[in-house]
Amino acid sequence: MAPPRPVMEVALTVNGGPHVLSIEPCALLIDTLRDQLGLTGTKRSCDVQVCGACTVLVNGAPVSACTYLTYEARGKAVLTIEGLARGDEVHPVQQAFIDHAAFQCGFCTPGMILAAAALLREIPHPSVEAIAHYMRGNLCRCTGYTKILEAIQAASGAIAR
Amino acid sequence: MLRPFEIHQPASAAEASRLRGALGEEAAFYAGGTELLLVMKEGLLRYAHLIDLKTIGGLDGIGVDATTGALCLGALATHAAIEHSPVVAERFPLLAEVERSVANVRVKNVGTLGGNLCFAEPHADPGPLFLACEATVRLEGAAGARDLPIGQFFVDAYQTARAPEEVLTQIRVPRFGPHTRGVYLRFGWHERPALGVALALTLDPGHTQVADLRVAVGGVTLRPTRLRGVEDRARGRGLDEVLASLETVGGAAAGDVRPTSDLYGSAEYKGAMVKVFVRRAFLGAAARFNGSGG
Amino acid sequence: MTFEKEIAVALEVERVWAFLWDVERVARCLPGCREARAIVPHQRYAAVVSEQVGPFKVRFPLDIRVLEADAPRRLKAEASGRDPAMGSSLRVTLDLLLEANGTGSRLVIHSEVGLAGTLATLGQGIIQQQADGIMTRFAEAMRRELEAEGRAGC
Repeated sequence: MAPPRPVMEVALTVNGGPHVLSIEPCALLIDTLRDQLGLTGTKRSCDVQVCGACTVLVNGAPVSACTYLTYEARGKAVLTIEGLARGDEVHPVQQAFIDHAAFQCGFCTPGMILAAAALLREIPHPSVEAIAHYMRGNLCRCTGYTKILEAIQAASGAIAR
Repeated sequence: MLRPFEIHQPASAAEASRLRGALGEEAAFYAGGTELLLVMKEGLLRYAHLIDLKTIGGLDGIGVDATTGALCLGALATHAAIEHSPVVAERFPLLAEVERSVANVRVKNVGTLGGNLCFAEPHADPGPLFLACEATVRLEGAAGARDLPIGQFFVDAYQTARAPEEVLTQIRVPRFGPHTRGVYLRFGWHERPALGVALALTLDPGHTQVADLRVAVGGVTLRPTRLRGVEDRARGRGLDEVLASLETVGGAAAGDVRPTSDLYGSAEYKGAMVKVFVRRAFLGAAARFNGSGG
Repeated sequence: MTFEKEIAVALEVERVWAFLWDVERVARCLPGCREARAIVPHQRYAAVVSEQVGPFKVRFPLDIRVLEADAPRRLKAEASGRDPAMGSSLRVTLDLLLEANGTGSRLVIHSEVGLAGTLATLGQGIIQQQADGIMTRFAEAMRRELEAEGRAGC
């Protein structure tokens, strides 16, 4: 019989709700979110932290859930795409993505939206250059980025109101 | 997926060092994990034990040494923390610029400067800058601490002078004098630079002579390298004279490095690019003396 | 990747050939070669080669086959193996050309090294340098062995 695999308990909040999870030390946040908590909005795409499809916010900061241990999130607040809207009220970034048709297949979209939301919290009225630089780690194969850029610019105006 | 491992939480660098000594090659120090977890996921490295350096506390501070004015960077400071640090903005804005261009926002939030330097990937941004600034690194083991000039720290690709049980705790950057300007140029289309050139130009108080020049290049060979030939060609000469003969000065770079071909470019291409970017970096640094380009 | 190394030794062609024909002994000149043994003498051999770059370790158990033996001019062999831990496989073709050269012999070591798998994708630049270093040390080790032969044989 194989030796028992080590297990640890971590307490964290996910989308505002407290959780105490029994995880292996080697558990990756993306797997805990998707498999243990059923939050499949976070996507595994490149799996090497380059594409941004797995972006989640940890204490407000974007991280690659595919290369981030769940252990690291202990005592922290994790926000996934499922947690962005408040009930029926979508986040201004989500609304802007809808208004500007800033997605096609939608696979990169959760990561894009979360990264954009974090950007606008850090820089409420970013220049085009600032948006492009911040978002350069989020890749999209469908849209050609123009509509995404528009949506983020629109959202930055919307948030000011 | 990662193979199972245990996580250890030392309270001090000495404890971390002892743990590594006791656990041996099955254990690795773990900071941000942006390099380590990646290669572990790919199965290229396997560790049954990770020693979390972040539980030590106090290794992520950014400050200034009151006596020497040196900038002291905790090894566990993230790229993002350094990029946004008011201390760095005031004392060493060039470093903030370099950290801004590292990888992507997610890697910057989690990855640490110390982890980056210790992993010693040939295509990394901070290495050449610290080389050109003649920074020192502090390595702590169970036996004590030692300070090492960064020129001796980078040994080869993925290899540094850090002994397996030593923890890199701090990077110290000497203060630039009033007549020194620095530039970092990064070239490439991917997250890692194809090559990076860091240059620190010191002029005489009259700003007509090159008092000192330090140039370092990364991504061209297997470790960040100083271009001593280029430095020697410029040192002690009139600024205008060097500016007029930049072709030759840049050309001296060819004697300093034997470029390695890789996915970022052939040896020939890299050799040609080194000359181009050394010239541009020199021009950029000289321009900073006129107040243009700050 | 292709490499060509050349060594000159003050030893007659026949004696250099005798050394080459002792394939086990040649295999042991390969840097990182831990074991070498004959399975079918002059036809098939087994060896294990280990290398390290920083923290990365590779270990290739090699199956070595003699493809061509044209005494005393040419020996061609192929070594192949796989490192499952690294998800990578290695194939090396060694073409050893021997000729008389005034005072002794000239041995040209022509090798083709093919690496596939994770290491090949991720380690391209380093692999080239490593392989070049390995072939240089291989040639040097053979030269030392042959010179020792020369001194012993007198």
